[in-house]
Amino acid sequence: MRLLIFFGLFWSLQAQNKQLLYGFEDIPQQLLLNPGTNVDYRAYIGFPLLSNINFNIGMSGVSTFDLFAKDGIDFNEKLRAIVSSLDAQDFFGFNQQIEFFSAGIRLKTSLEESLFLSFGMYQESDVFFYFPEDFVDLAYEGNYNNLNRYFNLSDLSFNSEVLSVFHVGINKKINSKWTVGMRGKVYSSIVQASSTQNQGFFTTEQGTGNTLKHVFDLDMKLQTSGLSIFEDTTNLNRLDVLKKRILLGGDLGLGFDVGFTYQPRPEWTIDASLQDIGAINYNTDPKTYILDEYLEYEGINPEFPEFASSQNAQNYWDVISDSFDELFEIDSTLSSYTKWRPIKLNSSVSYNFGKKIDKYCNCLDTSDTSYQNRVGAHLFAMKRPKHIQWAFSAFYYRKLLKGLQLKTTYTVDSYSFKNIGLGIATSLGPVQFFVMADNLLEYQNLAKSQSVSLQLGFNYKFKNNEN
Amino acid sequence: MKKSIQIRSLVTILFIFFINSSCIKGVDFEQAESIILKPITELSLIYTSLDAPDFLDEFGLEFPSITDSVILEVLSDDFLNEYLVRADLVIEVTNSLNKDFEIQMEFYDNSNALQHTFPVLIENSVSNSPIIVEHIEVFTDSSLEALKASNRLDFKLLLLSSPTGSVLTNSSLGAILFKSKVIFYFEITE
Repeated sequence: MRLLIFFGLFWSLQAQNKQLLYGFEDIPQQLLLNPGTNVDYRAYIGFPLLSNINFNIGMSGVSTFDLFAKDGIDFNEKLRAIVSSLDAQDFFGFNQQIEFFSAGIRLKTSLEESLFLSFGMYQESDVFFYFPEDFVDLAYEGNYNNLNRYFNLSDLSFNSEVLSVFHVGINKKINSKWTVGMRGKVYSSIVQASSTQNQGFFTTEQGTGNTLKHVFDLDMKLQTSGLSIFEDTTNLNRLDVLKKRILLGGDLGLGFDVGFTYQPRPEWTIDASLQDIGAINYNTDPKTYILDEYLEYEGINPEFPEFASSQNAQNYWDVISDSFDELFEIDSTLSSYTKWRPIKLNSSVSYNFGKKIDKYCNCLDTSDTSYQNRVGAHLFAMKRPKHIQWAFSAFYYRKLLKGLQLKTTYTVDSYSFKNIGLGIATSLGPVQFFVMADNLLEYQNLAKSQSVSLQLGFNYKFKNNEN
Repeated sequence: MKKSIQIRSLVTILFIFFINSSCIKGVDFEQAESIILKPITELSLIYTSLDAPDFLDEFGLEFPSITDSVILEVLSDDFLNEYLVRADLVIEVTNSLNKDFEIQMEFYDNSNALQHTFPVLIENSVSNSPIIVEHIEVFTDSSLEALKASNRLDFKLLLLSSPTGSVLTNSSLGAILFKSKVIFYFEITE
């Protein structure tokens, strides 16, 4: 039951899309989304552990409220209605990130050309699974009234991982139109478990010898790495092991991000990035569990001892019993395996307008002469085991005051068609604080929301001398 | 400048306040305590097909009965014991032998004590055309408890004499087909 409440929490809360941060050039952490973004500051240092805290959770198809509303309707009726409304394409996602440290510095300073180096380390947790429709239906209804229905084992598909990422990026402004960037990453996986390649089915059909025939075609695989320290309860060094894994002592992988910003004219900006093109090799504690069997079963065919002395139904049953034992026998291997990181695409087109111009020429005025407004459209896409998760946002960015920038987004995605988000970056001297949240319309009652994301952080920014 | 700082602080604080003011209303997570799943599962049980010579001994004489025992481990399963609320044993017999039968299904526990039994009478087919007999044995309450206590099923076929029936010989026409399945009704709660 606790599991259900846990699921319930999942129902309330989007995953991985950071539409508010992407393109928010005042915030250094957006370099993690596009290494080829415009950078107009000299350097920055993130406040350790506080520079970027991000939490993102969501589910397609249903909200917590749908299930747990205090509405007097029988809980089991609601659960049944929800279960029947969800299908195998519906999914649950949770993502959390916390930056341990980050910093960046301009190596070559000139307005036309510049080279900006940034680096840091963050920890990330990602859980993603599809609604296992056929498994749930089988648990709910059984196979009775489901004659000839194929219960697909591929409906079980999930991926979960906790890892730390060390990264170094280089951002180069080539000329007034082009900025490009790349970020190299070293992944250190702390724990990982996934089962994304399941195949086969279970079905009950009309038999030939007997009324019914059951067909089991099982082809399932579960891969885990790093879990054995949790199995061994006597292990007192668990925390030390985890600390070591965070600091490059886990399963290691390599990857990179690439991105660009193109400004054909000062008012127009086109940018795009690809994140996490890379893979992790799991070899410290890898386990692969395989279930690969086929069985057709019609029942027990008795062998009456009166005329068949050699065998009776019991012998026959023993054979069947053995084949059932074999059917569910799981083979496990300890060989290492490699998995791709989930690749992400971000891209946007935007129009800048409204330059701040003083009526009188004032050579001493140091106020911002850049565009104060920006409107645009943003596309996010991410590779998931069975589909491409996408989101499309329209956004408006505004420099409200010196040191106060706002960005608001309207997002359409698998979770919702009415997701409005707001991000604020504010500076007090060199200290910058930002906070962003989406699904604001649902904040009056989070339970009605299918997804929620929240992101905040503190940075110490060194302004560009030439600005 | 001072005013600008005030406005900035105010906007930021208001936004944070707004986020913090979010809440989860009108929901009751305790409801999950009462969740019930009611799957119905059907499973093939025993099947056989016998013709006349199967009922005769080496001298060509009829056996009075033939019996086989099946150990049903599944009945002593904890899951089944806890959540099974009803079971139907569905039997379908097709007889084209000119012979009457009584099928006896006997359920025994660990100490060989009879827990439950029921007969199914099968009429003879004078013209060897198939006669279909269906029987559904429903296990609820005390009979369900008896079923849960059992771990062995004796499947008995008794050969009966009747005015229109014949004595089976090696050349008797027809066959008897026995098919069965069990339907388990579960109510799974925490």
